[in-house]
Amino acid sequence: MSITRLKPIVLILALVLGLAGLVLYLSSYFIGLLLMLAAVIIVFAYRAASGEKEAAAEDARRLLRNLSVPAAGVAVAVLVGGILMLATGYDPVAAYRALFYGGFVKNWHISILNASPLIFTGLAVAFAFKASLFNIGAEGQYYVGAMVATYLGIFLKLPPLFSIILIFLVSGLLSALYNFIPALLKVRTGAHEVITTMMFAHIARYVSSIFIRGMGGDSAGPHPYVSDPILESNWLPRFQSILPRANYRLHAGILIAIAMAIFVHYILTRTKFGFEIRAVGQNPQAARMQGISVGKNIFRALLFAGFLAGLAGTNQVLGLEHKLFENLQAGYGWNGISVALLASNHPIGVIFASLLWGALDAGGQYMARTTQTPNAIVEIIKGIILFLVVARYLYVALRNRIKRRRRTAGEAA
Amino acid sequence: MDAFFSIFNENLLIATIRLATPITLAAIGATICERAGIVNIAMEGLMIIGAFFAATVSLLTGNPWLGLLAGVVAGGLFSLIHAVGCISFHLDHVVSGAVVNILAFGVARYLMVLFYGHPGTTDPIPRSLAEFQLAIPGLSRIPVIGRALFQQTPIVYISFVLVICFAILMKKTRLGLHIRAAGEHPLALETIGVSVFKMRYLAVVISGITSGFAGAFLSIENNVSFTEGMTGGRGFIALAANISGGWTPIGSFLAALFFGFADALQVRFQIIKLLPIPPELFIIFPYAATIVAVAGLVRRSRPPKEVGVDFIIEREEE
Repeated sequence: MSITRLKPIVLILALVLGLAGLVLYLSSYFIGLLLMLAAVIIVFAYRAASGEKEAAAEDARRLLRNLSVPAAGVAVAVLVGGILMLATGYDPVAAYRALFYGGFVKNWHISILNASPLIFTGLAVAFAFKASLFNIGAEGQYYVGAMVATYLGIFLKLPPLFSIILIFLVSGLLSALYNFIPALLKVRTGAHEVITTMMFAHIARYVSSIFIRGMGGDSAGPHPYVSDPILESNWLPRFQSILPRANYRLHAGILIAIAMAIFVHYILTRTKFGFEIRAVGQNPQAARMQGISVGKNIFRALLFAGFLAGLAGTNQVLGLEHKLFENLQAGYGWNGISVALLASNHPIGVIFASLLWGALDAGGQYMARTTQTPNAIVEIIKGIILFLVVARYLYVALRNRIKRRRRTAGEAA
Repeated sequence: MDAFFSIFNENLLIATIRLATPITLAAIGATICERAGIVNIAMEGLMIIGAFFAATVSLLTGNPWLGLLAGVVAGGLFSLIHAVGCISFHLDHVVSGAVVNILAFGVARYLMVLFYGHPGTTDPIPRSLAEFQLAIPGLSRIPVIGRALFQQTPIVYISFVLVICFAILMKKTRLGLHIRAAGEHPLALETIGVSVFKMRYLAVVISGITSGFAGAFLSIENNVSFTEGMTGGRGFIALAANISGGWTPIGSFLAALFFGFADALQVRFQIIKLLPIPPELFIIFPYAATIVAVAGLVRRSRPPKEVGVDFIIEREEE
């Protein structure tokens, strides 16, 4: 009997194990990690057994190669951060222990809560980058999404699941429209989207203050203003309803975010829409020759990016806060840029980059509380990681030099 | 009519010049940078660094002039990261600029906590540069524009001088020609024996220095302390001013004046409360004006040909 006939069974088994492991792991049941690992091993073992040994090994090698640059960046940044802490009179070992324990174990649920909006905004920036556009104003689209979600969340009385889907769609669409003017200006006049979306981000921030006052914010009270809470029927479901040990704040937003990342990856690699976006991003002239409209794809890319960034705001309002705060200082839009760069604009990479960023933030807070090390050190570490990851040329130059040295050494011998 | 003059008066003109100053300084830096072929979106971060060091050194020494020096040097040094990133490491300029911004916010916050024990705002400095207001005899008596142009504080005058210097530098000198060539036709420049790398490094550091001035203006001349986020997008507005001004120092200055005017106008409208609308609608006015200006003026001039394009010399592998 050929092993290939087992394919559907193996796939379903791996999928079930992987998904169950994911949900468990995200709800701080660490046994989930083992389940996910088991799923990966099953897939690789199946491929090895069914004669795809070479392809499986090649995939594994490629994965390791792709991970080596970020891993090296993290290692160097941790080292530099440690030296910095030593130089300024803090204990790096204790600080890093607290950072790791806080980010990945003790407050893992906070890391998850940080990561879910970052995945959306990271995707928003990454998707636009694929079309060679820099959606630096994701923060603004985030605010629009949050405002629309708050408005609908307060007034929309429909069956829970239906209304949540509707709110996600409507707030996403309106956030997409928020990028309409930058896209129009880019196509018609060539005005750079870095400037226009950035200005629109500042505008959205101030408009949100007006909005919150209109939605029940007490303008006589102290800052920050807070809107009325949304209806409980519009809350995203929480993990705790099925997994009692999960933290009560954890909600289904992270699953939507991960699904969205997979969806974006599918769009980019498997559809005509994605192909055109990438073609325009890589070489507009060549794309035009192929009959692909550059202007149309600039519109599509920026609008879809706005849609994704808006969902981050919806996710925060429906899942976590259940109301809108003025000047949310979290800066998910700005951090989305970092996440996209760290993942080199790969949608699946965005998930892991967001989790790392979320864990660094959560761990940084824990570190500051327990060891009195300023958690701004985390911001510096993030900056150094980013610089080392985007400076790919450095690694190419390094490799060339090593190659050259090896060759000359070989000739000498 | 009274209401009209309560807004459109000499004070509005003075405020226009003052609020235009940081934008002018950053915008002429952007002009030099882009003419040399480098896109610099890091100026927001460079301004933060300049503002932080200016305030901190003023606080430590009690001397705002030393603070100014520190802010300018810090801006120049920090800009080297962007230079190394996009010239030596051949990064995409926009990516490198974004990373430098992120790094600048992180460094400012870390040093804030280190020096002051908390993020947010620093303690007030004992003496600010605003104390050194100087009225130029005679000229400051000119009606209407006299006080706005000739009774100002030090960095405002510095910005005037730098605009004129940079205009002459770019138009009349060999160095200016080389800088422009680095952005228009780098290969030709390299062929005649001038290093494109050097010109581009120089341009980035100049923009770092002017951003340092801009930051110092915000923290120790227009204010008496440093606050995180006090730049409020001015680094990006400066980019818009450079583009609207057609990539020339004088044009950048005029565009910055327009943005300064928009800012001054919104401040006065907020104070006077002439119209019964939320104050935030006034605050967003300068941002909206920036979008309109970039959209309306961007087509009138041509950007440097090789701006944002990496320059790399292929060498044969031995």
